[in-house]
Amino acid sequence: MSEGIGARVLRKEDKRFITGKGRYTDDIIEPNQAYAAFVRSPHAHAKVNGIDASAALAMDGVVDVLNGHQLTGDGIGNIICGWGVTSKDGTPMNMGAWSALATDTVRYVGDAVAVVIADSKEIAKLAAESVVVDYETLPVVVGSVEALADGAPQIHENAPGNLIFDWEIGNKEPTDAALASAEHIVEMDIVNNRLAPNPMEPRSAIATFNESEDHYTLYTTSQNPHVARLVLSAFYNVAPEHKLRVIAPDVGGGFGSKIYIYPEEITCLWASMKTNRSVKWTSDRTEAFLTDAHGRDHVTHATMGLDKNHKIVGLKVNTKANLGAYMSLFSSATPTYLYATLLSGQYNIENVYADVQGVYTNTVPVDAYRGAGRPEASFVMERMMETAARQLGVDPAELRLKNFVKEFPHQTPVIMAYDSGDFAANQKQAMDAADYKGFEKRRAEAAKRGKLRGIGFSNYIEACGIAPSAAVGSLGAGVGLWESAEVRVNPVGTIEILTGSHSHGQGHETTFTQIVAERFGLPTENISIVHGDTDKVQFGMGTYGSRSGAVGMSAIVKAMDKVEAKVKKIGAHVLEASEDDIIIEDGAVKVKGTDKQMLWHEVGLAAYTAHNIPEGMEPGLKESAFYDPSNFTFPAGCYICEVEVDPETGVTKIIQFTASDDFGTIINPMIVEGQVHGGLAQGIGQAMFEGVVYDPDGQQLSASYMDYCMPRADDVPMYQVMHQSTECPGNPLGMKGCGEAGAIGSPPAVINAITDAIGNNNLNMPATPSAVWAALQEASKQAAE
Amino acid sequence: MELKDTRVIKADPATVWKAILDPEVLKACVPGCQEMTGNAEQGFTATVVQRVGPVKATFKGIVNLSDMNAPNSLTISGEGQGGVAGFAKGGADVTLTPNGEGTELTYNVEAKVGGKLAQLGSRIIDSFASKMADQFFQKFQDIVEGGGAPAASTAQPVKQGGFWAWLKRLFGGA
Amino acid sequence: MYTTKYHKASDAANAASLLGASPEAKILAGGQTLIPTMKQRLAAPTDLIDISGIAELRGVTIEARKKLGVLKAKGGETITIGAATTHYEVANNADLAAACPAITGLAANIGDPAVRHRGTIGGSIANNDPAADYPAALLALGATIHTTSRDISADDFFTGMFSTALNDGEVIKSVSFQAPAAAGYGKFPVPASRYAMVGVFVAKSIDGDVRVSVTGAGDDGVFRHAGLESALTSDWSPASAAGVNVGAEGLLSDIHGNAAYRANLIGVMAKRAVESA
Repeated sequence: MSEGIGARVLRKEDKRFITGKGRYTDDIIEPNQAYAAFVRSPHAHAKVNGIDASAALAMDGVVDVLNGHQLTGDGIGNIICGWGVTSKDGTPMNMGAWSALATDTVRYVGDAVAVVIADSKEIAKLAAESVVVDYETLPVVVGSVEALADGAPQIHENAPGNLIFDWEIGNKEPTDAALASAEHIVEMDIVNNRLAPNPMEPRSAIATFNESEDHYTLYTTSQNPHVARLVLSAFYNVAPEHKLRVIAPDVGGGFGSKIYIYPEEITCLWASMKTNRSVKWTSDRTEAFLTDAHGRDHVTHATMGLDKNHKIVGLKVNTKANLGAYMSLFSSATPTYLYATLLSGQYNIENVYADVQGVYTNTVPVDAYRGAGRPEASFVMERMMETAARQLGVDPAELRLKNFVKEFPHQTPVIMAYDSGDFAANQKQAMDAADYKGFEKRRAEAAKRGKLRGIGFSNYIEACGIAPSAAVGSLGAGVGLWESAEVRVNPVGTIEILTGSHSHGQGHETTFTQIVAERFGLPTENISIVHGDTDKVQFGMGTYGSRSGAVGMSAIVKAMDKVEAKVKKIGAHVLEASEDDIIIEDGAVKVKGTDKQMLWHEVGLAAYTAHNIPEGMEPGLKESAFYDPSNFTFPAGCYICEVEVDPETGVTKIIQFTASDDFGTIINPMIVEGQVHGGLAQGIGQAMFEGVVYDPDGQQLSASYMDYCMPRADDVPMYQVMHQSTECPGNPLGMKGCGEAGAIGSPPAVINAITDAIGNNNLNMPATPSAVWAALQEASKQAAE
Repeated sequence: MELKDTRVIKADPATVWKAILDPEVLKACVPGCQEMTGNAEQGFTATVVQRVGPVKATFKGIVNLSDMNAPNSLTISGEGQGGVAGFAKGGADVTLTPNGEGTELTYNVEAKVGGKLAQLGSRIIDSFASKMADQFFQKFQDIVEGGGAPAASTAQPVKQGGFWAWLKRLFGGA
Repeated sequence: MYTTKYHKASDAANAASLLGASPEAKILAGGQTLIPTMKQRLAAPTDLIDISGIAELRGVTIEARKKLGVLKAKGGETITIGAATTHYEVANNADLAAACPAITGLAANIGDPAVRHRGTIGGSIANNDPAADYPAALLALGATIHTTSRDISADDFFTGMFSTALNDGEVIKSVSFQAPAAAGYGKFPVPASRYAMVGVFVAKSIDGDVRVSVTGAGDDGVFRHAGLESALTSDWSPASAAGVNVGAEGLLSDIHGNAAYRANLIGVMAKRAVESA
């Protein structure tokens, strides 16, 4: 069976993962390593009047206790936000200082004020418990709306009223005018719940300072080790880049939360220099809830206008985005450029306007989490569409069909230019598979059993493959978002692909080898992937935003183009033929129309022995490429969810979930289906189970699995996953990306289905049994009135 | 968590007031109080041990009496650091109103916890706080109605069995 | 986890004496609550006394009823379950399933497989978590708790959330109860922890006495529900249970559900418990 593009090649990485042979950061053991334990604030907002570490320092096995004043005193820089967002009035964002260890003020529960370095983890923890911190508590605010209210506690001096930015996009006056003259108006308040990322492997770091070479090595759980090195070097002044090696070995899931460079990694590096020991820290699950960047947390008011033919004439959206106590690396981009640029959805809308306020609160920093901005946009749009259909009394599928973008390229009023798609085709495929026509019959049958059945649509679109560097640069990004690759053909013909993408569950070791196998006709077992080490890979921007396929693999293709060109030259020279007659197939270099050929390994050997290569050609066979995309890619699809609600308990059971996606070219359908399954589970998790809960004092009440509900296998149905693809014109493989679609498209489908079942459109996520039951009570109370 | 309750104590407001200001009474009433030093004017420092199921936490902190309006009302507040467990703080606005032969004691309690106690124990925090408040004022009532002097054994922390089990043991029951 | 000293008790008496020897000692049965609490550093027992290997504390015995007159009617056997018997062993005991399927069904739905293979009935009731399943069963079945020093009725044993009548140095050996004529358990799990948001155990003895207990919902742990008991005494039927107006007074509100929701669930779970009985 072919192992090339389109083959269901089993994941090469799974053997080591499922036999317990993965090598994660916490598995790395350095000689004479010490352990870090952080002293964290139990208060959400307080002044730090003093730290007494005398008891800790007196304990046997304690190497040192370090604090924020020492850290800043050593010139370690404040943590940065890598994307500058400009407010409506042209002013830059108001960003408060974030030191890896707090100096004078703590701003969320879990904010680190000191670190203990000790000979063992147990001693470090015991010593950290003995550190006495004199806190003077300050008033606390946890919600974005409350934080913007007059008289709210002030969290950072240089962000008056806790407003970080007040940003806008789209055409305001025309949108207002369109809404004013619209025949129908749909208006909604929409909340997007706060989520904890919960990768299976918690964050971890082990830093080693080599005094004799003045060099640092950091193993860490990163989705982008080169970006980590760049930021640690350029902004945090830990060490210049050539004196700092960052390695992200096997990483057990990220979902965005491992993009960022957190206080703990910075502190471990610095502490390694201070103590001249290797310093290791591994988060426990509670620390993960308290310190991993959370996702979502939007409060939105949206207004949509439709004309008498039910064509959408305008959409206006206001969103208050809770960014937590400090600005994480991409926190400003997530609720602006990654969100509001998708508010046109799959629809041809002439007038769209959105404004977004980014707000400081006394909560964990909020940043990108699987989907990052796009789930929020699709939730707004698809809840609005379903509500509009209900309000107008029309079929939700018909209403969508009427408003779809049908010609490409399509320029939306909110920056994005959609390059391809066939939204009606995806919708038809999903409706057929879900037997939409037979739904009313099933609803009636369920009613006989005392169950409430509902159906909901979600027609999502996302922008992936981030992103054209010049474009994101003009929007405020601090980095370019290209990707690099190197293809090394060894003298024996085996191939190593060095990629700047990083696999933490995506299966790159499998899919990336498939495109090479396809190109050169080689078995995948002769190809390996090298990634995650700044000393090995030339550079890379990492993996997030469903970019590894569209951008990372495109870079490999570009490098393969160069390899192919050189191979053809060598082949032509050795086989004494014209370059134009050389073809590469089945692992051999052949002269078209003859039986003359060189086997692939003979080409490798020829290149490295250099006994007989064209005059002037450099020996060796190794090429690299940097690929910068020309546009975003636009995966889209139609999801249909069918549920049954038990009115006695409010329990919702998903009976059927149908997903029709347009991902462009698919390299490995098995891996793509797995990505969709995982994304759907996460989206269903957001819709029905997950939610971070804070009390008004900023205490996180859901900081363990006793209270934070992850979806389990028996909570989700057997999905119907299918594809109806159009090729992406923007990259050589025609790929769009599949990593986030499930999480982006599914929440509105679930909520639309549940609200359809219960006859009450007023339902927030997570739609837990108690929330659904309360909405049912409200509906029956309203019906009685 | 906020809760409000009222109980009628068979003693006049002056007697009740005096009992509230008595450090020995206060110490006996704070559930799990092991040590308390200080006075009503300047406040007390206290060590309190609490057990909830397998959890055991020792809180070191302060107890203050404030807004004193003798013999009508005052606020009792406390705050303790429980080490790895986090912190707990609470206050009760207490009002005394003559009620026939006795005194109607109304209390408005607010309790907060932070750190691990909040992160891991949210499902039981409110119940536990209301139980503590109930134990505090029940004990106070018992002492005042019993003549104002705490029994010698009350210096022991209330055991895991809770107030009723403790009471049963105290009187040789169970 | 803080440092602790591990003891393997040879028998129940030895466990009791080891327990009495140190004021900060703890019995380790299945460790499904204690060990996570220790890992969170919220418990620091000086000594752990492991009773899981003690043969006399394990297993289920069923003694046939002595009255011969009513042999055809169900129930009446004396059932004894050793304190260190795991949930898995209870759930998979065929004789017990024949005599009292409500309790084997309850055990089969505690936690997950890992919990069921380690967790024990004695550990569950000694901890008396306000959302645990076994306290509801034992209270409704009118069970007796046998300890190293005495026998305690379930009514006296459960004294509020996380508290029991156990004294220092007292170790549970077993629990016993008479197999009911009919019994059922309706459980609505908290989606996150799968502890009971509400669990209602209904039991009718061979003498016709009805007892109904509720776990998960009370603000001070497991309790008997007088309204449901009286309704089911006069008419043992799902409709009768569903007809009881359950008030929210004294019920728990937390981030998973408020008191009104729990009150509703008590009615629904009681109805389903009777249906399953």
